[in-house]
Amino acid sequence: MEVSSTLKKVMTSYDGKVRLVIKNVPYGYRQYSVASALAALAAGDQGKYWEMHDLLFARWPQLDPESLVRYARELGLDLERFKQSMDSKRHKDSIERDLKLGDELHVYATPTLFINGRKFVGEMRYREFEKVIEEELKASR
Amino acid sequence: MDRRTLIFVIAFLVMGTAASGAQKRYDVPIGDSPQRGPANAPVTIVEFLDYQ
Repeated sequence: MEVSSTLKKVMTSYDGKVRLVIKNVPYGYRQYSVASALAALAAGDQGKYWEMHDLLFARWPQLDPESLVRYARELGLDLERFKQSMDSKRHKDSIERDLKLGDELHVYATPTLFINGRKFVGEMRYREFEKVIEEELKASR
Repeated sequence: MDRRTLIFVIAFLVMGTAASGAQKRYDVPIGDSPQRGPANAPVTIVEFLDYQ
């Protein structure tokens, strides 16, 4: 769970130089993994993806269906639309695609990060991010 | 190839790989996944995550 707040710091200190992309690889055997990913994507339909993303990390492990709706309300989302979005095939397909991609890239643990294609498994400390990002920035100059 | 030559060759290969710093780069398609930061940023971090 730590990685998200570290990444937030990374995004702030390297503002404009780093792009962050999320792929959802919910574990099937965890009760609320899929629903949580769907909640974030559904919030995205109302322009609040990252707000929901942050909230899910902040409120972990409270990710039951009632909590997810509560977070949507907290973010001022249209709740009917939110529930419809959560049920949409489009988002389920997107998660399926991410899971397939994860398989292809041998992603067996979360979080797994790819920094300009370089693979890092597990949580990373700020200093580690710094080292890799500096290397990449140097190479891109 | 005698034993000494073999050890030398292996050591050379191991050191060569380490010195080049050649970490494999995977091609990770972005698609329409959620993203923040400029699309033309010099560094792209793709995070595979599970919220739970």
